[in-house]
Amino acid sequence: MGHGHHHHDHSHDEAVELPPVLDQSVPDEALTPDEVSRRGMLRGAGLLGAGVAAAGVLAAPGTARAAGPAARSNKGGYLWLAGDHHIHTRYSSDGMYRVIDHVRHANAYGLDWMVITDHGSLQHAKIGVEHVNPEIRAARAEIDDTLVFQGLEWNIPAAEHGTVFVHPGPNEVSVLKDFENTFDGVVTDTTASTSANEALAIAGVNFLAGAVTRRRVRDALFLANHPARKGIDSPHEIRGWRDAQPRIAVGMEGAPGHQAAGIPAPHGPGSGRGFYDNSPSAASFAGYPPESYRTFGGFDWMTATVGGLWDSLLAEGKAWWITANSDSHTVHADTAARGTANDFNTVGYYSDPTYGGDLALANGDFWPGYYSRTHVGASSFSYAAVMDAIRAGRVWVDHGGLISGLDVRARQSSGGQRGVTLGGVLQVRKGQKVELVIDIDLAGGPNWSQFQPTLARVDVIQGDVTGPAADRDTFTAPNTKVVKSFEVGRNSGSVRFTYDLGAVDRPVYLRLRGTDGTRNGTGARGASVDPNGPLIDVVGDADPWKDLWFYANPIWVLPH
Amino acid sequence: MTTYVIGVDAGTPALQEADHLLAELVRGLGLPEGGAAATHLIRTGTPRVALSLTVSDPSRAAGLLPPGARSVVRDEASAQPDDGASQAALAHGMQGRVVVFPGVDRLTGTLTVGEVLERSAIDEVAVLLGDPPAPETRLHTRDHVRPEWRDGRLTLLTMPAGPGRLAPYEVPDPTPCCAAHH
Repeated sequence: MGHGHHHHDHSHDEAVELPPVLDQSVPDEALTPDEVSRRGMLRGAGLLGAGVAAAGVLAAPGTARAAGPAARSNKGGYLWLAGDHHIHTRYSSDGMYRVIDHVRHANAYGLDWMVITDHGSLQHAKIGVEHVNPEIRAARAEIDDTLVFQGLEWNIPAAEHGTVFVHPGPNEVSVLKDFENTFDGVVTDTTASTSANEALAIAGVNFLAGAVTRRRVRDALFLANHPARKGIDSPHEIRGWRDAQPRIAVGMEGAPGHQAAGIPAPHGPGSGRGFYDNSPSAASFAGYPPESYRTFGGFDWMTATVGGLWDSLLAEGKAWWITANSDSHTVHADTAARGTANDFNTVGYYSDPTYGGDLALANGDFWPGYYSRTHVGASSFSYAAVMDAIRAGRVWVDHGGLISGLDVRARQSSGGQRGVTLGGVLQVRKGQKVELVIDIDLAGGPNWSQFQPTLARVDVIQGDVTGPAADRDTFTAPNTKVVKSFEVGRNSGSVRFTYDLGAVDRPVYLRLRGTDGTRNGTGARGASVDPNGPLIDVVGDADPWKDLWFYANPIWVLPH
Repeated sequence: MTTYVIGVDAGTPALQEADHLLAELVRGLGLPEGGAAATHLIRTGTPRVALSLTVSDPSRAAGLLPPGARSVVRDEASAQPDDGASQAALAHGMQGRVVVFPGVDRLTGTLTVGEVLERSAIDEVAVLLGDPPAPETRLHTRDHVRPEWRDGRLTLLTMPAGPGRLAPYEVPDPTPCCAAHH
């Protein structure tokens, strides 16, 4: 990339350093002519701003250092840490487990990091947010190779739920508690989809940024959960959160939890996969079509639709990342029962789970790490590095262990550079030939259903970067489509594919997905856009193990 | 018999509550032969669900409404954007989700698409993201059929519900978002 990188150690008190061209605190006058030109290019493409800065664009691979157990995948210069940012305990009125129950399972199933996110509620704001903390700290002490964050499942005013979480520290509880008391939709009775409540949501995101700026907590992040489930996260609300604080509001669940919910009755809940079985309401965004209320191959419509809402943000140049989580409340076929010795409404949590004596087949969730994983490319095994990696978009997700490792690089076709990875921006001269190099470690072993899944196909999705959308409720990207598919048909070893972009004369972005090939068909925007996409999941008949996908976050290529 | 269409705005937030209120009104007022009762999403101001239904005696409606609810006869409806009752009355027959319609009582169990069209006022069965179904395609009604008027055509949106089988798009008992909300 030819730009002088600062090989800084990610010591934890240090903010992520930005290349001068992206750091807006550096005036144009302080840049070299070449840098000024690049900054102008970035502005022109709508890409300059804290978001892309926050996205770790031009992150230097050399900053990674090996850390943590050897079992973790070190690929492409990063330590890839699997995690889950959406997990409920007995401090949620619809949960039941202790913190340690989740942490033990998550650790056994291979998760390196996890976020405890109980629902915002009157009881939680008063009691749960404090009482869960000693359980979390005890779990951190007992299981030292899974990082356990404390977070909150925020009832976003006027909208859906979202994960809010902070870096551990002496103020983790007080910041979360202040946030919940002031900005939670249920606690403050602001769930209705009104413009006043939409403004409160933005104020909440700003509050989190302030808590970091004033160093009450070292870091904070917000990601929207199950965004299309009820149609109440309108496109302008998503843009609003993101644009208010691009370093805080960084993404959304590409795949919701509750992936067992579509297992047919009587062996499963027989509901919609992800419990996505709603339909338009008075609170929903009128423009969303009926299919947006269902999952596609287990993924949320905003992410699964090629040329859909997610792509419309990426085509604007907005850094906005996807994740996949368990949303684990009650686990499918578990034998535990909710403890009933306490009254939740007065005590704020359920007593210890008891032995239930039967398989709970109506439960729709998996344990964290059992089925859904969010893999982040971290510079070290630390809380700060996980948060940095999420913010940078060095994130890919999989279901059912479809693949075990992924390194994606956009780079000049000649010259031997390593290129930039997920979440990054490749700067090239106009007309420069560019290639996308995809290295995949296949399953290589059994998943938690004890079979070794086969990756059938990988799709490269490409779109033009067209700058800011005039209509903040835009949810289509007309120029985005599947541009290349690679057949695989293997379940062990590794494969490399190279997609040749040719000479790049306009800003574009690329993203990847892969499938086990069991349920493919024409995407919602037609065969010319997506001929073999994920199919809409059948309510009451969606076996999650028979429809596996992985998705990767985007890389931008900007010629200038 | 002269019939009228009335619109009702009781500030009802959710569809299921709106269905209950609609059932009460239909029971209390009686639905004239060939009439229909429907829900309408009002997205101006505080989001809510308004109702519309066919009646023979609009003057009796007021006594059956919950406190604070407003009703209007279609002939007197205004075009004010925030007037949910008027919006519902004006949309009746053209747009909206229809809860009671001729033949709805005969749409139970599993039927063929052809039977659905024969037994009820439904004009068309559509498949989400799919081609129109053959008349012999089985449709599992779940005893909950809520077609919608699409420019006046009563259309039932369905989706696949297993091999060779359809079910209405709207499920009878959608998952509430979480216990903390209720």
